[in-house]
Amino acid sequence: MKAFSSMHPFVLMIYFLSVLITAMFINNPIIQFSALFGGIAFCGMLTTAKQKLSDIAFYIPLLILISITNPLFSHNGETPLFFMNGNAVTLEAIVYGVFIAVMVIGVMLWCKCYSLIMTSDKFLYLFGRVLPKPAIVMSTALRYIPMLKRQSAKVKKAQKAMGFYTSESYFDRLRFSLRVYSVLIGWSMENAVETAKAMNARGFKLKNHTSYSNYKFKTVDFLLLALNIALIIFVFWGVGSGAVAFSYYPQITHIDTSAFSLAVYSAYLILVFIPFFIEIQERIKWNCYRSKISALHTQRMKKEQ
Amino acid sequence: MFGESGCGKTTLLKLIKKEIAPYGELKGSIIYNNKPIDELPDKLSACEIGFVGQNPDGQIVTDKVWHELAFGLENMGESTNNIRRRVGEMASYFGIQNWYHRSTDSLSGGQKQLLNLASVMAMQPKLLLLDEPTSQLDPIAAADFIATLQKLNREFGLTILLVEHRLEEVFPIADKVIAMDSGKILACGSPVEVAKLLQKSKLSLSLPTAVRIWYGLGSKDVPPMTVRQGKDFLEKHYSQCAGRSVAVDKYSGAETVLEAKNVYFRYEKNLPDVLKNFNIAVTKGEIFSILGGNGTGKTTALNVLSGLDKPYKGSSNVFGKKISKYKGNSLYRNMVAMLPQNPIAVFVQSTVKEDFYELLKAMDVPKDSAEKKVNEVTEIFNIEHLLNKHPYDLSGGEQQKAALAKLMLTEPKIILLDEPTKGLDAFYKESFAHILRKIKDKGVTSIIVTHDVEFAAEVSDRCGLFFDGQIIALDTPNEFFCNNSFYTTAASRISRELFKNAVLCSQVIQLCSNEAGEECP
Repeated sequence: MKAFSSMHPFVLMIYFLSVLITAMFINNPIIQFSALFGGIAFCGMLTTAKQKLSDIAFYIPLLILISITNPLFSHNGETPLFFMNGNAVTLEAIVYGVFIAVMVIGVMLWCKCYSLIMTSDKFLYLFGRVLPKPAIVMSTALRYIPMLKRQSAKVKKAQKAMGFYTSESYFDRLRFSLRVYSVLIGWSMENAVETAKAMNARGFKLKNHTSYSNYKFKTVDFLLLALNIALIIFVFWGVGSGAVAFSYYPQITHIDTSAFSLAVYSAYLILVFIPFFIEIQERIKWNCYRSKISALHTQRMKKEQ
Repeated sequence: MFGESGCGKTTLLKLIKKEIAPYGELKGSIIYNNKPIDELPDKLSACEIGFVGQNPDGQIVTDKVWHELAFGLENMGESTNNIRRRVGEMASYFGIQNWYHRSTDSLSGGQKQLLNLASVMAMQPKLLLLDEPTSQLDPIAAADFIATLQKLNREFGLTILLVEHRLEEVFPIADKVIAMDSGKILACGSPVEVAKLLQKSKLSLSLPTAVRIWYGLGSKDVPPMTVRQGKDFLEKHYSQCAGRSVAVDKYSGAETVLEAKNVYFRYEKNLPDVLKNFNIAVTKGEIFSILGGNGTGKTTALNVLSGLDKPYKGSSNVFGKKISKYKGNSLYRNMVAMLPQNPIAVFVQSTVKEDFYELLKAMDVPKDSAEKKVNEVTEIFNIEHLLNKHPYDLSGGEQQKAALAKLMLTEPKIILLDEPTKGLDAFYKESFAHILRKIKDKGVTSIIVTHDVEFAAEVSDRCGLFFDGQIIALDTPNEFFCNNSFYTTAASRISRELFKNAVLCSQVIQLCSNEAGEECP
């Protein structure tokens, strides 16, 4: 299903970095809206219907909240619409508020996609390429967190069954939960010693470590990376040449509609919709395969009859 | 290699692997492949000598199964392609491929221990050292693990040095057995030779049932090792005693002290029921064992009975009063106590003694009577020497004893014990059984959840088989284990063709002798 997430972590990392950096730092409504829609499309592919509903319930009020906050505090701009408590509420400030909201929510959605796609092992893989030993330490830490949680629950239960937690007094409860934390520290030390020994037993102290991963750099990874880099260079070229320059204050500038600017916008639009297209293509392919499988199945059934 | 806890067998084992050798003064030398251990190159020692310990959790380093398998190979600096092949090979051989991408934390104890073994095997060791690898596993996972070891030995000629105290299955398949006592080797040889040598020793207690029956019957002929050999042995020499039976009384309990009626429990709304129409009635002063497979919900049943988990349907009563009616901590004062599976969770202080006094202080016991109480339990449990130690410095068996002693300070009328014999050797089990009987004599009711059929047969007044969320069979141990054909003691399996209702070693021995204690004609 998640075709995009099966790409090589390095390619994914470059992709997310390019999208996030451009979405955050290019101050242009078209770019920001593109990033938002790309984020919505991709997020929609990754989440279930229920999650989508709860996302909508979260992001729309947030959008409104951010949009109205800016004109309340910023009074720059040349076109006052009305006055509130003696302060001008300007058109520019309202528009800028909306664009900030779009940018913030776009970035949030992309970060959400990032956390869904770049799981801890992908991140550790990339990290381990650069710093192998700290990567192992991080992996060990990731393993410790759930272990610690479970042990904490066990200790609490055992203590509760001795009548420590059920006491009515709030102070007592606080004291005993602090005690549980202190005992957990002792417990994790004890465990850490054992883990350290197990690491040494398997040659952790040897020199010349390598870093293993399940990932292979495939042709599609190369293609995606090449496309990504080409598009992002083109977009940066556009930014550098001022083709997508835009400002809100003191007056909203016009959006440049020269052929070159349009090309830059299209390039950016393609960039942010890459994951969406990959997912869609994968779904179509999958449906196609599925119907093939069932067709083969019916054929076989007929033959057997 | 086997011996009483603390006899030095683990120390000896760890000395063979220089990376984890304990510190201290060392005399003499350990030779591996004609070379002293400390002169071996680091890489060779790390690869060729593999070590698997007893705690499945402590040895796992990374958060993903695949990474754990690759960890040792990464350290050796193998290339990615090489690692890929070896990891794939190991995963297939050990049947790990289905959970290859899972996080190590989501595995069961048996899977964790198998992963530990597989990731050591990925480094292609020539000598495998194992320190009580099955002590934290349930019997089925333990049998699987031992079978895997046997397979590795048979198919690859791998040298295996195993320290174990659960000898029923391992003893007969060993090529050579070493019995240790107080840091010395007591006996060393083939299983049959060692069995013969140990007859008078206290170590005989930990040997397989067939051997112990053989001891009890005057040790003629060759000692039988397995259940099958035990059966043959009895048939050959005692067929004339056939038809004898152990007299069993029906269990007649006094008043019911703990009761659960039609209890249903599930952890979350969308998860299946763990307890389904669960019923139990335990009478005063009884030792009640609940047996059953792993992950069936036995521990949950204990949690519900102790009021830690609340059923969504049905009710449980303690002394005729609903558990939910006990306010605050009144249920856990002079009433119900629970010994968790991991006894270390009971301790929160830096010495056992401080832990005891803290509990008494929380119970508002005045100082002078607190001291009296502590002295009393130390005497019953015989733990004087443990009082000033840190709980983490105690051995598994000592922790178990000290934890139960701490619980006894609340003067409970009912004790719930979750797997109390897990990881204990035969001697600790015996002394633990003794303690349970002592507590019973004081009128305390015990409910034990356990996998350990031998222990349950020995101490229980009644045994229940837990399956599918409820207790489906309930009987006195003799009837219970004789009616079960798989879930039963080795002694019962050995003797069931000849005798009726014999489930313990001592009962089989007794039936083979007549009233005067002489053997059958």
